[in-house]
Amino acid sequence: MTSSDRRARRQYWAVAILSPLAIFLLWVFVTAQGAVPAIILPSPAAVATSFLDMVQRGYSGVALATHVGASLWRVGVAFLIGAALGVAVGLLRGRIPVIDAIFLVPSEIVRPIPPLGLIPLFILWFGIGELSKILLIFIAVFLIMMVNAQAGARSCAVDSLRAAQSMGAGRWQIFRFVVLPSALPQIMTGLRIAMGTALTILVASELLGGDRGLGFLILDASSFFRTTYVFAGIILIGLIGLISDRGIAYLSRRIVHWEGRR
Amino acid sequence: MSATAKGLALVPEPAGHADGPRASAVRPVLSFEQVGFDYDGRAIMRDVSFAIAPGELVAVLGPSGCGKTTILNMVAGFLKPTAGAALIGGREIAGPGPDRGVVFQAAALFDWMTVADNIAFSLRCAGRPKAEQRQVASEMAALVGLSGVEGLYPYQLSGGMRQRVGLARVLAAKPKVMLMDEPFSALDVQTREVLQEEVLRIKERTGCTILFVTHSIDEAVFLGDRIFLLNDLKEGRFEEFRVDLPAPRANGENRLHPAFIRLREAIYRQMRH
Ligand SMILES: Nc1ncnc2c1ncn2[C@@H]1O[C@H](COP(=O)(O)OP(=O)(O)OP(=O)(O)O)[C@@H](O)[C@H]1O
Ligand SMILES: [Mg+2]
Repeated sequence: MTSSDRRARRQYWAVAILSPLAIFLLWVFVTAQGAVPAIILPSPAAVATSFLDMVQRGYSGVALATHVGASLWRVGVAFLIGAALGVAVGLLRGRIPVIDAIFLVPSEIVRPIPPLGLIPLFILWFGIGELSKILLIFIAVFLIMMVNAQAGARSCAVDSLRAAQSMGAGRWQIFRFVVLPSALPQIMTGLRIAMGTALTILVASELLGGDRGLGFLILDASSFFRTTYVFAGIILIGLIGLISDRGIAYLSRRIVHWEGRR
Repeated sequence: MSATAKGLALVPEPAGHADGPRASAVRPVLSFEQVGFDYDGRAIMRDVSFAIAPGELVAVLGPSGCGKTTILNMVAGFLKPTAGAALIGGREIAGPGPDRGVVFQAAALFDWMTVADNIAFSLRCAGRPKAEQRQVASEMAALVGLSGVEGLYPYQLSGGMRQRVGLARVLAAKPKVMLMDEPFSALDVQTREVLQEEVLRIKERTGCTILFVTHSIDEAVFLGDRIFLLNDLKEGRFEEFRVDLPAPRANGENRLHPAFIRLREAIYRQMRH
């Protein structure tokens, strides 16, 4: 890395940190003026107080860590299974026409349905327990990953496939050593999109009832106009989103190290 | 020491023909018998026949779009003739296989593997032990002058080094036939000449049969034992030139040899007319 690269990086991070700081200061400023009613936009201090209250005493009789844990578990399970299956099916669809044909119509019919529209059906079919919540997130992640993995598999260069064939690679070896790595850049991008969507749907899925989870916390607090708790919950989800996105982005730079360097 | 230009070389000549060992005197490794090919009903070639002897290097010249890559693709097994038969060792070519290695114009390396893993790919596919893979990778890297970069990734290499990796990974599979589709056309003159000599040395050492497509008359004359000039494939005709340069062929001085210059001129006139 040259010194001008380093300077550019420093500038990048300075701006990346200053920008949220500026938003925070604006928030402090607007609420300190008292121009906006606290029930609509509470001050950072009030939100912090509610947050500490939840840390110490929980929310609606359940510890904050339990709320966070419940949400993370739902998103985590749905995300892992959805991503694994979505990638597998997407890669197969990208290379094997019959499999593509099998999934084409069903998945294109389901894809445009908003997850919220599925909630009444899922309550009927799977009840209001964990299964419904996880399935709702799972479907969204699965579809996103399937589309991305399929496009990735299709982007595999003909010459790479031919080179592998003429070096004696079998079908599975071509899949493992050529098709999958060719699709990885797009799969990693898909993971970031899917994680964002999964967190969005988490909140919706916790509409389904139950007594724990960050989505539950936010919805419950908002129906009692406890805006400071709503804000604390939203910020927590936002932080989870930020951390997971940065994590996936970091992994993808390590795994797909060749991307953009050909 | 003369370069002979003769037209209409078609079916392998009868054995025992005039001067020295001919393609047909030994059993050919590679042959086309009245091969025809069309893309979606559009005829690219018809009735094309030739035979190539073991250890021979045939350089293929011809205008853009005449069907050079198509011929290579049929030999590699990526495409099937729509008429006639393409044979390897007397048997019809059924599909791609490690007996025919392909060096691509754009190298087509696996960017996600190190140089060593790229080179050892065929051994990995054949389930050879890790230690053997590593050893062959470093042997082949040394053979093409790439020692010391086995741990790098393709995007960390120059264009010439990438082509060397492409060559090394094909050599590692110990193919009977090497198919090279304008492998050096994107390289600068110095690198190209060095690699041309490399190819001739490798050919001498391994006894490999090579089909080498190029747009450069110089490259064809320097490398080829024979040169096919594909100017009328649709009618099943092409010109054949025999190259007669002093051994060892891997000698840059051959580029200044009178026979080199004469043959280059003959081909040039043939291409222009
Ligand atoms: N995938 C394809 N589908 C249809 N036609 C094709 C396809 N590939 C090649 N052709 C046609 O076949 C003919 C021969 O193509 P080929 O690639 O063999 O030419 P070439 O001699 O290798 O040319 P160049 O020197 O430009 O590489 C061309 O006219 C081309 O238009
Ligand atoms: Mg071509």
